Amino acid sequence: MIVVILIAALAAVSLAAFNHYGLKKIDAGTPLMKEIAAAIQEGADAFIRLEYRIIFWVSLGVIALLLIFVSWSAAVAYALGAFLSASAGWVGMKTAVIANVRVSNTARLTKDIGKTLKVAFQGGSVMGLCVGGFALLGLGIIYLVFGKLLGQLDPVNLVFHKNWLGISDIPFTMTVSSYALGCSIIAMFNRVGGGIYTKAADMGADLVGKTEAGIPEDDPRNPATIADNVGDNVGDVAGLGSDLLESFVGALISAIVLAIYTAYSSHGRADEIGNSLVQKLVAFPLAFAAVGLFSSILAILWMMLRKSSDNPHRELNMTTFAGASLTLVLAGVVSWFMFSGESVANIDFRFGVFSPWLSAVFGIIGGILIGYIAEFFTSYDYKPTQDIAAASLEGAALTITQGLSAGMLSVFLPVALLGTCIIAAHFTAGLYGVAMAAIGMLSFVTVTVSVDTYGPIADNAGGISEMAKLDPAVRDITDQLDAVGNTTAAIGKGFAIGSAALATLSLFVSFLYAQAGAASEGGLVLMLNMVDPLTLVGAFVGGSLPYLFSGILIQAVANAARKMVQEVRRQFKADPGIMAGTSKPDYHTCVTISSAGALKEMKIPAMIAVLSPLAAGFIFGPNFVGGLLIGATISSIMLALFTANSGGAWDNAKKYVESGHYGGRGSDAHKAAVVGDTVGDPLKDTVGPSLDILIKIMAVVSLIAVSVFSKHNLFSYFFN
Amino acid sequence: MIHYYLTVFPVEALIASQLTPEQFGSYMAVGSHKGSAEQLIFCEVEEGFGDVFDWAFAKEKCVAHPNGDPKSTTYLSIYRVLEHVPLQYMKSLFLTTQDGRTLELPKTEYAPAADWKGCALYKELCPVSPLVASRLSPGEFAKYMVKDTHKVQLPAIVFADIRILEQNNLRDSGNVGTVSKLELDHIHDCIGQVALSGAKPTKTVDRSFFKKFTYQTIATGIYAADSSGIIFYPMPDAETLKRVNYDWGRSAYIL
Repeated sequence: MIVVILIAALAAVSLAAFNHYGLKKIDAGTPLMKEIAAAIQEGADAFIRLEYRIIFWVSLGVIALLLIFVSWSAAVAYALGAFLSASAGWVGMKTAVIANVRVSNTARLTKDIGKTLKVAFQGGSVMGLCVGGFALLGLGIIYLVFGKLLGQLDPVNLVFHKNWLGISDIPFTMTVSSYALGCSIIAMFNRVGGGIYTKAADMGADLVGKTEAGIPEDDPRNPATIADNVGDNVGDVAGLGSDLLESFVGALISAIVLAIYTAYSSHGRADEIGNSLVQKLVAFPLAFAAVGLFSSILAILWMMLRKSSDNPHRELNMTTFAGASLTLVLAGVVSWFMFSGESVANIDFRFGVFSPWLSAVFGIIGGILIGYIAEFFTSYDYKPTQDIAAASLEGAALTITQGLSAGMLSVFLPVALLGTCIIAAHFTAGLYGVAMAAIGMLSFVTVTVSVDTYGPIADNAGGISEMAKLDPAVRDITDQLDAVGNTTAAIGKGFAIGSAALATLSLFVSFLYAQAGAASEGGLVLMLNMVDPLTLVGAFVGGSLPYLFSGILIQAVANAARKMVQEVRRQFKADPGIMAGTSKPDYHTCVTISSAGALKEMKIPAMIAVLSPLAAGFIFGPNFVGGLLIGATISSIMLALFTANSGGAWDNAKKYVESGHYGGRGSDAHKAAVVGDTVGDPLKDTVGPSLDILIKIMAVVSLIAVSVFSKHNLFSYFFN
Repeated sequence: MIHYYLTVFPVEALIASQLTPEQFGSYMAVGSHKGSAEQLIFCEVEEGFGDVFDWAFAKEKCVAHPNGDPKSTTYLSIYRVLEHVPLQYMKSLFLTTQDGRTLELPKTEYAPAADWKGCALYKELCPVSPLVASRLSPGEFAKYMVKDTHKVQLPAIVFADIRILEQNNLRDSGNVGTVSKLELDHIHDCIGQVALSGAKPTKTVDRSFFKKFTYQTIATGIYAADSSGIIFYPMPDAETLKRVNYDWGRSAYIL
């Protein structure tokens, strides 16, 4: 089985490398196009280098803590997770930067949307394949080295062990959780740092360049335009890649950890889960991910090798559908193959060997439906967004009000669906089924990330076409590709938020299991007393944490954007030749401002995620942390849906007006819609995506540290 | 070489300049440290007509700077200029956007439109600047405004005809600029009045409409007229702009 997992991961990484080098062979176009692409590449490289330098020092600190308080295997796993997640973000971003200009040049040379689509998708596929490949490669290595070779999955090691400090844990759960923590911390920095960077640049470019000076989007006279394009790569590509890698890993390890704790808690019971079944419960998520990866590779190859039509939306949907269908069929076979002959009735598998597979199907259906609800509330083909555009006729205040309403209305249905999905998955395969539902949502993540990454590549290609003064027909092609990317991104967000909720729920249950003993020790108390004031207060505090986190993030964007606005104004005033087109703006200073702003502002939000459960645990103990996790998860999911959908709706309402409705570009309605979009920008691109990482980091940190703070906390010292 | 530019919007002036029309438009819109950013409509005129303007002064003052840079502007007149510029001396008209891009509209003979709808909105650009509703076609309106038999008349006029938005289909308006819903009600009231009234051919909709006027609102083009006749500067359609003047079209928010 491990061979299959590693082959899948290596096949994905190999195809990623093949596509990367294949892209590099494509001509990058005119000297001006190359010059613009080089400026974007330089800015993106510089930011990622500085960001990763900070992450390196933070990671060294975490590794030291894991080494001291948990185990050396946890420290190594963390380092591996951090390295692979950082690598996925870096490779994906590098490839996107290479792909942007080549997409633009392919459109210029061929004037063929199908051929251009293939180049854009080839660029996006590198990120997707790296996300799926690296995530599974890391887990495969951990499974092989720590689980099998070093014996952490031997029956004798699937029980609590004490380390040199007397802190007890089940070693393999700590190892995989630390691996996930490594991925999560990189994702948090990439999402938060990239989010601040991209929105500061975007707002600076829009507020002064477009609104004050009246210059169009992506005009080379705008000093912030290169920073804006760099932001698309570091935020929308590197950030998105690390984010979904973290989601994928989070979902996988939540099932593994839950399986181990469930098995441990059954020790001594009449219906104790046997070792053979435990091994299969641990391996099944990885096998599921492996077939998902194989299916995704085939879907990507199919997309790249067949003759493409002129309808990019249909092409991408067919690719995603092919990947998902193949995953489902193969996963069903794997489920039957792995669990045949096992007695699965005592682990709540109500539909026999197909139970975990069926739970994953519920997850996939739930994810798709959540995505479509997001699309309904954010696409300008539907009423909620059209209503926001209509409200823009009455001014900015009503645009904001209508957008807030749409965002709030968009929360109920996805949450109801998630609830249904949890109940259905739990009914089908118990708590393990809930974790499998999360895995189902992300099992073909390689294809969804490929499609998601293709969007910013097409967007950047459009920017380069504009800056390089290419034929308007070229911009038409890249605009069409970009528009499709916006729709697919909405569906991708549905999967990310939905899977985060399910994975966090599974991790939360593991957090409770980690405090419970085996049945043989009479210690299984899988209960959180909500009447306990500590739990209740923890839930209140946890509910407020996402607001604190989001507030700091928005403040960070505002601070960086303000500096950018001042710089762009300064440049226009100091050198009128910039507007006249006779002198070049100083792009580099704007890139530096965005970069410095993001690096300075990203630390506190990232630290909140890591330190809040630790501080709460060491002061108030595990019940408080339990409440904290429940409160933070519920509040984060609501806020993530609200911010992502309201921001998306404002953005698309502006696009609807710009496409010639209610007066079109330059009208009063357009000005009001631009205000809405500007308000929504940091919500949808900085806050929303960071919230699902927040709850997973909190859950993983709590899971790793609970064995320490359940014994050592100030509250128990003073009051017990 | 000295060019002579008659600016008709936002202010009326005759300016001598060593800049080409594109450079002049850019300089006037954005090319100073004052940080101005405004639309500008101007017409290149041939030199040497009449004795109202001091052509010798222009030649003396409009010379390159000591460092070789061309002289941007030498103002010859800033008051009642249009009325002293004969139509036959007017060459192409230029529309400069807020961000300094300039579109040339070549001069053409005016011919009445075959698809005249019976009413129009005219934005007078020079020498006065109201927005008026009228049941007169552009040619008739021009004659009406420069005829000296009634009290409200001008010696010469430059005006644009403005697209009339459908009140009931704002959703699919296209890119038409900054007319608000409130103004639209008033515009349609005024159009109704001139269309129904037999006596009143024009009615003032807005006394200035200065800040609301954008190039997106122009329908067929811009007209210049005096007692000797009328000339027409047709506005290219969006498809032509996309093909030939893409940058200008984007800066003017038409594309």
